[in-house]
Amino acid sequence: MRNFLRFLKEVKSYWRLLVVISVLTLLTSALSLPPPYLIKILTDDFTQKHLSANLPHILILIFAAYVLLASSSAITGYWLSYCITLLGQHFKMDMRKKLYAHMQTLSLGFFEKSKTGKLMSNITNDVATLDQLISGSFVNVLQDSVTLIAVIFILFKLDWRLSIVALSVYPIYIANYLVFIKRIATTSASVREQRETIYGDLQEKLTAVQVVKSYARERYEVLQFTGETRNLLGLNVRATALSTGLWTLAEFIGGLGTAILIWYGGLQVMQGRISAGSLMAFYGYIGGYLYQPTLRMIQLNDAIARTNAALWRIFLNLDTKPIVTDKLDAKPMPAIRGEVNYEDVWFEYQQDQPVIKGVSLHVEPGQMVALVGASGSGKTTMVNLLQRHYDVIKGRITVDGLDIRDIKLASLRTQVGVVIQETMLFNTTIRENLRYGRLTATDEEIEEAAKVANIAHVIEALPKGYDTLLGEDGVKLSGGEKQRIAIARAILADPRILIMDEATSSLDSETETLIQEALDRLMAGRTSFVIAHRLSTIVKADKIVVMESGVIKEMGSHHELLAEGGMYASLYSQQFKVALEAIAAQNELAGEA
Amino acid sequence: MLGQFPRLLSYLKPYKKRVLLAVILLLSISFTPIVLPKLIAYTIDTVLPTHNSVALFHVFLAIVAVYAFRGVVSFWLNFTIGWLGQRVVFDLRFQSYRHLNRLSLAYYDSRQTGKIMARLMGDIDFIQQMISNGFITFLADMLSIVVILVVLFMYQWKLALVAVAGIPFYVINFKLFIRHIRPLSVELRERWDAMLGVLQEKLAGITVVKAFAREDYEIDRFMQTIQDNFNIGMKQMKLNRKLGSIAQVIRAIFTGLIIWYGGTLILHHHMEIGELLAFSALVNQLYDPAVRIVDFNVTVQWTVSAMQRVFETLDTRPEIVDAPSAIALRQMHGGVEFQNVFFGYERGQEVLHDISIKVDPGQVVAIVGPSGAGKTTFVNLIARFYEPSRGRILIDGYDLKKVRLESIRRQISIVSQESLLFSVSLKENIKYGFHDATDLQVVQAAKHADMHEFIMALPFGYDTKIGEEGIKLSVGQKQRMSIARAAITDPKILILDDSTSALDSKTEANVQAALEYLMEGRTCFVIAHRLSTIMSADLIMVLDAGRIVDVGTHEELVAKPGVYQSLYNEQFRSATEDGLEALLS
Repeated sequence: MRNFLRFLKEVKSYWRLLVVISVLTLLTSALSLPPPYLIKILTDDFTQKHLSANLPHILILIFAAYVLLASSSAITGYWLSYCITLLGQHFKMDMRKKLYAHMQTLSLGFFEKSKTGKLMSNITNDVATLDQLISGSFVNVLQDSVTLIAVIFILFKLDWRLSIVALSVYPIYIANYLVFIKRIATTSASVREQRETIYGDLQEKLTAVQVVKSYARERYEVLQFTGETRNLLGLNVRATALSTGLWTLAEFIGGLGTAILIWYGGLQVMQGRISAGSLMAFYGYIGGYLYQPTLRMIQLNDAIARTNAALWRIFLNLDTKPIVTDKLDAKPMPAIRGEVNYEDVWFEYQQDQPVIKGVSLHVEPGQMVALVGASGSGKTTMVNLLQRHYDVIKGRITVDGLDIRDIKLASLRTQVGVVIQETMLFNTTIRENLRYGRLTATDEEIEEAAKVANIAHVIEALPKGYDTLLGEDGVKLSGGEKQRIAIARAILADPRILIMDEATSSLDSETETLIQEALDRLMAGRTSFVIAHRLSTIVKADKIVVMESGVIKEMGSHHELLAEGGMYASLYSQQFKVALEAIAAQNELAGEA
Repeated sequence: MLGQFPRLLSYLKPYKKRVLLAVILLLSISFTPIVLPKLIAYTIDTVLPTHNSVALFHVFLAIVAVYAFRGVVSFWLNFTIGWLGQRVVFDLRFQSYRHLNRLSLAYYDSRQTGKIMARLMGDIDFIQQMISNGFITFLADMLSIVVILVVLFMYQWKLALVAVAGIPFYVINFKLFIRHIRPLSVELRERWDAMLGVLQEKLAGITVVKAFAREDYEIDRFMQTIQDNFNIGMKQMKLNRKLGSIAQVIRAIFTGLIIWYGGTLILHHHMEIGELLAFSALVNQLYDPAVRIVDFNVTVQWTVSAMQRVFETLDTRPEIVDAPSAIALRQMHGGVEFQNVFFGYERGQEVLHDISIKVDPGQVVAIVGPSGAGKTTFVNLIARFYEPSRGRILIDGYDLKKVRLESIRRQISIVSQESLLFSVSLKENIKYGFHDATDLQVVQAAKHADMHEFIMALPFGYDTKIGEEGIKLSVGQKQRMSIARAAITDPKILILDDSTSALDSKTEANVQAALEYLMEGRTCFVIAHRLSTIMSADLIMVLDAGRIVDVGTHEELVAKPGVYQSLYNEQFRSATEDGLEALLS
């Protein structure tokens, strides 16, 4: 309920539109009421013993009334729809913008915890659910309650006794609906669940079709699928039976009401208590104005309940605070020289589980640092802290002597470049992808960057060159090509500090050579942090930092660390033992010969 | 355009009786809408003026009876139709999925999972709606229009002519607007998809956005896409409402005309008031069905394109099927021979060129070469995921094409770089390779893969679920799980495709130990970049641009100039020399 009140607050800013909508709703309901009454006038005039002489005039008046009513209701209806759509669309747009803009301010940790699909559904489906409530249910209920009150008033005014008799089946009608709707709801929930199960299963099995095939499990999978779809079939048939049952019974109850009305009302007419026209008006009002509005009003309850979950998710997102924000007096970072200093840095993702425990590391401008260690030792966390995706909990990180928490986030990140293992390129042209590094880059600069990244010849060989679309609708690039485009993008950004997180580990050696060349060019003259487990990359570093469970174990150049004979040396020999032995054997052979 | 329709109808064939039942039921309730107005007319015109209360009670009974009849029949009808639709969906889905499983990997290479799923779920659902609603509504509309027209003309043919005159206006108005509305709906759909695309991409690629500090730029771009959506949504609404408003006015004009002209007819005693009321009630049931009938071809078009997509899947022939005379190779030894094998994924683009190699049971073969050399393709051919375009592949001397596919694949296991596990329990994942495995065998396999201790430390042990609802495994753990899955099948041929390249060195050491255990006594094909793995192989096969450029042991290959030597030098020399110095010093 608290969510709901907060939601109403969100809607409040559209109050002008809401007032206009209310007025138009009243008008539209009012204009929909007269037709049965016109029928009453018509019937009464024609069932009189002596037909009045101005009947032709009355006929023309009725004709005119019909056309006039319809025209004005068409106009109000048009504006009503216009305002409702405007409200709904505006609400959706504003809400989506708010959510998306908010998500953009959130720190990386938030995205690591949430699935992309869920976030998307929050922006798309959840917001749409809210809109349905506003521009669907709310407006309907407003209109329906006005209509209901007016119709019941008219009926009782015409004849209260007949009203009571005619409305006698009304409670049964509602009870029937309530009895069925609960079961229908549970059944359709099971249908949804079953569908999701099938969907999830399918997704998984189709993605891993190679596993299915390599274990020759096709028949088993088909059997499994058949079982699941058979369940779905059963549930669907049950749902059909229930809803058909509900509406058939409802129609029958309504019919019963009509029969009672005609019978009892007919007796009243014979006794001269009411006119035949009034009976016809009753007939018209009860059939067309009573049942549907009532049901829609009952359904409002469900609509609100459905919205509740969506509201909860939306507000949950909006209430998530970014972990990293600019200080009020944050200054923009001047051009970075590249001196980085970790001073007794502590960090934890979860309370009391530190991942970085008192790390101190000094890096001179232009130095290349290799971070080495087992997975979970804190290498990636180290570089994430430098980009300030998280804030340290103790100690500080300075760049050129400035604490990174005292400077503007954007000014830091634009000067820190990252190349990661999974290259993220966007579904647009190669040129646009490259330009993402620097929006103001000229075409010449883009082509130059591509050359430096060893990718220009690949791009130029494509029929559309730099305007080739990437991704689903465009060409598919190999892992190495993507990686080189990412490098070119980083070159364009011209970062002063460069971070490479496993940038080359999934590539084979020839591709790696091409990329290594590109990377070497990119790293020249910049401070760089490299996480890699290929020793050929690591050995070139000015400083190798060996990490274990959040602490620096060893630090030094390749030669220093080998001579030390510690963790690095054993890691090194483990990977190269066989090779070293072979070479030693060869050398021995050569020596002997 | 309707070419696919008979085929869809053939899915209804097994349920002929129910279809017939539905048609009969439909026919029998099609007259009910006209009864009520007639009864009312009778009441107003005859019963009430004559004060006949017995007849009035009969009218009461008649109304109840008509509704009761209608209720029973329409329940039966709707249920039958619903059942038919669901049943056909079930049959179609089952058939499609079975067929999908028969299709070879080549089919999946060229298609996205999402699109295949869309066919299996969305398109087939659409067909169901078409059967359950579209068809039946169309038939019912046709019937009711005919019945109502007949009744109207029987009442008063002049008045009926007035009523019918309204229909063309109504339909033309609809047609004029819908021509502009439909393209807008398509555009709206496209813009919406574009928006989803932007969202998906930028949320999944948030690290890039943040790394380049492009948040504001992205918010602007997103605003543009939703502004587009807003504009088109409003435009569509305006057209829709104009259509509706004009239709409303047309209806009112003709209802008014009927009352006016009908009233005049009453004045001249050609008609009675009750009849006029019944008449105008019936006329109201004429307009909407008329529009639906006119618009039916659009529904048909949509359904036909959905059907085309579904049938396209069903009509794709699996490339690899067992020959009728194929034998089951029950006990494989693991000898593999390629005889002049050529292969290309697409015509005219050769990926493997004249490959001949003989591998004895139990040998370990390392496959080396630059990316794109055809290494993965080579191992895929052994599991017969694809068929060579020329040449033969023999296993234990039998031509692969003449052996039952299932019997071969059961004895070959693949551990690849990406370990794909399923969202079921750990035990079920391991047993995926061999469903009849006992718990003991599962434990043994897990032990081989060095996973047993980890699993036992979990609260639910082997019954722990993995995936979204369960625990998350690290890359190394996933890899060892897939090793356990391979181990339990006790394969004769083992294929390791880059199994350890995504792991860091410590994790790799663990996985490597598990792999070495698994490799013992089996024929192994290993694609790897690590020297230690490659050097210990019995045979190294060097591929370049789809050809075997060298085969031999490490000592043989490194001694002569060639691709292997240069690969070897490029990647390892700098590192090993440095290390050598340290080792020798």
